[in-house]
Amino acid sequence: MTGTLLRIEGLTARYGTVQVLHGVDLEIGSDEIVALLGPNGAGKTTLLRALSRVVSSRGRMVFDGTDISSWSGARTATSGVGHVPEGRGTFVDLTVDENLRLGALARPRELKSTAGADLDMVYETFPVLQDMRRRTAGLLSGGQQQMLAVGRALMARPRLLLIDEPSLGLAPIVTRQLFDVLAQIRRRWSVSLLIAEQNARLSLEIADRAVVLAKGQVAVSGSAEELGYGDAVRRAYLGVANDEEGGKGAGR
Amino acid sequence: MTELLQQTLDGLSAGLIYGILALALSVVFQGTGMLNFAQGEMATLSAFVTLVFLQFGMPFWAVLPIVIVLSALGGALIERTVVRPLERSGELPLLTLGVALLLGINAMMAIIWGTNSRPFPSPFGQGVVTSLGLRMTYQQLGSLITLLAVLTVTILVFNRTSIGLRLRAVAQNPDSATLLGQHRGKWLMIGWGIAAAVGAFAALVAAPVLTLSPGMMTFPLLLALAAATLGGLTSRVGAVVGGLIVGVSNSLAGRYIPGLDGDLAIVVPFVITAIVVVIKPAGIFGKARTVRV
Repeated sequence: MTGTLLRIEGLTARYGTVQVLHGVDLEIGSDEIVALLGPNGAGKTTLLRALSRVVSSRGRMVFDGTDISSWSGARTATSGVGHVPEGRGTFVDLTVDENLRLGALARPRELKSTAGADLDMVYETFPVLQDMRRRTAGLLSGGQQQMLAVGRALMARPRLLLIDEPSLGLAPIVTRQLFDVLAQIRRRWSVSLLIAEQNARLSLEIADRAVVLAKGQVAVSGSAEELGYGDAVRRAYLGVANDEEGGKGAGR
Repeated sequence: MTELLQQTLDGLSAGLIYGILALALSVVFQGTGMLNFAQGEMATLSAFVTLVFLQFGMPFWAVLPIVIVLSALGGALIERTVVRPLERSGELPLLTLGVALLLGINAMMAIIWGTNSRPFPSPFGQGVVTSLGLRMTYQQLGSLITLLAVLTVTILVFNRTSIGLRLRAVAQNPDSATLLGQHRGKWLMIGWGIAAAVGAFAALVAAPVLTLSPGMMTFPLLLALAAATLGGLTSRVGAVVGGLIVGVSNSLAGRYIPGLDGDLAIVVPFVITAIVVVIKPAGIFGKARTVRV
């Protein structure tokens, strides 16, 4: 970790009368990969959406030295926070190329001129997208759409990329490939990643650190190695206790 | 044979007006999910404003850009002030709003300018072009060229510019577009502005033929609704093609189907629309969404 990119303190968020986040503290360093783990309903998606300023929240949020807690979603998006939404956010009637060009529209002004080079780099990172660049994005497979969503977000040249459940609905082998690419993009794109995932094992493999969210609060956090073998994660997240009660474990 | 071609040509001229109006409907529908019943009255208002400028002695071609810009601003203003508060409240309130706008703008025009028809000068002058046994008035020919130009520009804007890309993105997946830094409200407002400007052209070329009155576009709007349904409300190309089909079928039916001469011919485009919708509910070019998950 070479410096703090994002620091949030006491973040709370609610939908109507239901409070989802109860005071979350979190730090992400430059070029760091952080896995955000936790069962369904723990508040992972809400946390990411609060960071993108599309869910209103209270608490301090300092990104790159600036307090962004009062910013609009659009401003946050054009200031270096990329977001790959749950369900991939594909623009199904637009072509692959148009989807990526949309991403470029969110670039900071001083980086507009290098969009072409970055488009080449996206196609290099995800060669399958280049083959399909003229295709309608709705016709891509789930895995391809997920790659497109990551590529689209990268086109905005984020400093921090929030990725929500990238493995959702994907075959294990596709998930594997995707995570391999995610592990590479931090260096190529000099970007920090915050990955919300149910697939704890794969996330911990590529992450430096992990934060386990439970019931809207940070239950455990630590280095990926520690958490990979610790009992705390299993209890809080991997669903060992649930298995004993005959329930279905959330992790695989 | 010549007569058939002539009837088709007349139908195309009229159909393009419906098509352009349907294009405006489609732009608004895709963005806001609202069938803007007031699109026709908004266009008529643009024509009345043009007439005011003309009465000050300004030449038509100088007035045109001013009126188009004013129409766009007016459309944007309507979105911003009355549509936006209802935007997320579902289809029925928006439908009601469309009717309210229709009646409101119509009444306003009637109060200001009265309900009598006024002559509207043709910007293309009087005269007839004859070629290969086909005849077109300058007005028809000029309208055809103008509307084709409007159509081309609109399609280029939507398909080739970043403005169009943003408009399509916000219309299709507003949440995802926000995450890419696009203000939904801003682009919906711009979409309404574009629709109003496009619609204004339809009224301006129709006015010299129909003569200007507050209800001038009410009937064309019905045909435009049929056109948009026929071609597919979710498709800009479909809206225009639908308009042409409506225009041509109306013109041919009036001439060739016994007993349907005169105004009764209008049932034919609606019958065609009904049949198409039974076979393909989203219209000829409309898409039932195909998404693989």
